[in-house]
Amino acid sequence: MRAELQTPDPSRSTETEAGFEFLNPHFAPERFPWPQVWGYGGSLLLTGAAVYLVLLHVLPAAGLGALVLALAGGQALLQLGVFMHIRESRGPAWQILPLGLSFVIAFALVGMSIWIMTFKWGAS
Amino acid sequence: MTAPAFVPYLLHTLFPPNTHRPTEIGADVMMGLGMGYLVYWLTRHRKWGWLWRDWLTTVDHKKIGTMYLIAAILMLFRGGVDALMMRVNLAMPHAPFIGPEEYNEVFTTHGVIMIFFMAMPFIFALFNAVIPLMIGARDVAFPRLNAVSFWLFAFAAALFNLAFVVGGAPNVGWTAYPPLTELHFNPGVGTNYLLVSLLISGIGTTITGINFLVTVLRMRAPGMTLMRMPMFAWAALNTSVLILFAFPPLTVALLMTLLDRLAHTAFFTLSHGGMPMMYVNLFWLFGHPEVYIVALPAYGVFSEVVPTFSGKRLFGYTSMVVSMAAIMVLSYGVWAHHFFTMGAGAAVNAFFGISTMLIAIPTGVKIFNWIFTMWGGRIRFTTAMLYVMGFIPTFTIGGATGMFLATVPADYQVHNSYFLVAHFHNVLIGGTVFGLLAGMYYWWPKMFGYRLDERQGKLAFWLFLIGFWITFGPQYLLGFKGMPRRMWTYPAGHGWHLLNVISTAGAFVMGAGFLVLVYNVLWSMRHGERDASGDPWNGRTLEWSLPSPAPEYNFARIPTVSSLDAWWAMKQTGQGRGRGAAALRLRPQDIHAIELPRNTGYPFFLGAAFFVLGFGLVFSWWVIALLGLAGVWAALAYAWFDHDQHKHMRADEIRRIEASMGRLPA
Repeated sequence: MRAELQTPDPSRSTETEAGFEFLNPHFAPERFPWPQVWGYGGSLLLTGAAVYLVLLHVLPAAGLGALVLALAGGQALLQLGVFMHIRESRGPAWQILPLGLSFVIAFALVGMSIWIMTFKWGAS
Repeated sequence: MTAPAFVPYLLHTLFPPNTHRPTEIGADVMMGLGMGYLVYWLTRHRKWGWLWRDWLTTVDHKKIGTMYLIAAILMLFRGGVDALMMRVNLAMPHAPFIGPEEYNEVFTTHGVIMIFFMAMPFIFALFNAVIPLMIGARDVAFPRLNAVSFWLFAFAAALFNLAFVVGGAPNVGWTAYPPLTELHFNPGVGTNYLLVSLLISGIGTTITGINFLVTVLRMRAPGMTLMRMPMFAWAALNTSVLILFAFPPLTVALLMTLLDRLAHTAFFTLSHGGMPMMYVNLFWLFGHPEVYIVALPAYGVFSEVVPTFSGKRLFGYTSMVVSMAAIMVLSYGVWAHHFFTMGAGAAVNAFFGISTMLIAIPTGVKIFNWIFTMWGGRIRFTTAMLYVMGFIPTFTIGGATGMFLATVPADYQVHNSYFLVAHFHNVLIGGTVFGLLAGMYYWWPKMFGYRLDERQGKLAFWLFLIGFWITFGPQYLLGFKGMPRRMWTYPAGHGWHLLNVISTAGAFVMGAGFLVLVYNVLWSMRHGERDASGDPWNGRTLEWSLPSPAPEYNFARIPTVSSLDAWWAMKQTGQGRGRGAAALRLRPQDIHAIELPRNTGYPFFLGAAFFVLGFGLVFSWWVIALLGLAGVWAALAYAWFDHDQHKHMRADEIRRIEASMGRLPA
């Protein structure tokens, strides 16, 4: 556990039971939200970069698609880490399960959309 | 004295020719009279303060549910009148009632209103009215956001309905495909109205999805594990997940279209390298999950109504949960079946054809489970139960024709024809509308404290069911005869006339059903049987443990749940003898002070500010749009700094209320 994370309610701590530290509730301490400020700036930067890469056609279509997808992946990680408090939890990390579902759905939707829309590349 | 030069310009912009046709003037007069009477009534009875304090600023989920229900029924009326106008046109190919431009506007409005401003609020009405009561909670997780959701929906609906009065109605179909939506092909503000109002109501819908997801996951009474939840709570959970993933693609698609129109981008403009089919892809990425957003709550209602009126527990509860989750996940993998004819290739079409057929499996599981629940039960034929029994054969046929459409070669034959129109009305009326009406009749006593008259309700049901089949049965045949959808008239000697006349007659039978329904509500308000027990149907879930209507705080004491059908178990065992209040055995010392959310006006102002912003965007009047945006920020800033969000209700006050309802010795 990182030093800056604290345990707000010691009575609920299970640290005495060896190997179960991960069950402790952990929350980031309350202070001025600099990570969020940086995160907001970062997400704007990633979005702007995607728009300009496409506008300026820096790469052929397939490479451009891959690059934008990579930027989107970075964006997702940033949102989860900075704004969605993914590292905080109250007890077991239940959020992993719906998060997994989210990733399956997101990848399926994006992947299948690309697959469906490839018909145009053949036509043009 | 001559008027300044801008006056004729303004008059022409606000009231172009397509806002003063006779039908529209008639509707304007009706709306004016209705609103005038409302203002007169409120003033005469000094009800303005009551309206503001008890309704416009409320954060009580039960009242928000009531407001959603009123809005949904009003919108059902408007969408229904649009449907009748279309049907009249198609019954009279010799002398059409409305012209082609108006017909386009009418079917667009019909589709948008029925999906976004009738089905969605009706679903949220039921969620709000019963989900917290069912899971033993005192409110939803975020009561203020709940009010925000409602007012965003209400003002978006008002904006959409304003279109035909001011500026002209949209005429692009509810799907709003480019290139028809591009400015070049569709000048005028109608399309903007459609895009902006759906964007605003989409914000509200997303917030509702978050709200009910968290409510169901976090607010359940102690002991109510996930597998002890009523099926309707499962439906709310799955619907919320669908909303969270389905609405972003819609928002993106609508926003890109709006940018194409207002900022002259070219996302969907083919001549500038845009990709119109990408809109279609994004729209149905939303559109198919949306079908299940409106279907799953109906499944949830049926899963409550059938056990109650069969006097048995739900057959195969676990398989019901699993099949609903399976439908939720599968519904994300089928959207390309809406555009098989785009030409994406055999592999894509085969994949999406098969994935579509797969959905029939969990749906079939549910149908069989409802039938097995009835099997051997002592069935009470109430109105709600009749809707279920009408639903099962109707929806099964609708599902079968859906399988027909999922078969790609067959789809190439009948797509874009009246076969498709008949199919989706078959599942949306036979599934969603019957489900919502069943839910309305079932939970009405809980919402308002009296029953809807059963005889009138059954008459309305039979009119709806028979009218439905007279309307849409012939439309399947018209589809086979090659009649395309969305056509305003046809040559009279084409072989389509007789079937269209029959279909129109059926539509009027359904219209009569609606009138009986409204009469039923109005009659029962005065003469309906009061529900003193709080448990008029001998129910199984926790909402029936409460008085009807439930007090503001819902539960004087939060119940502890030990099994599925918690209230049934309490009535049978442990916690008491007999029906109704006695089974609760509430004691004065059980009652403690309760913290409740305090009413607030900012959701209403936020909605109003979004309305102004939307109006400015529709006409590209940027000053008005900026004013609206400033209002949005002001409302949000107020909400941010308003920390006084709770009020307390003292224990003796609660004891007094409970005693007045006969739940405690006075």
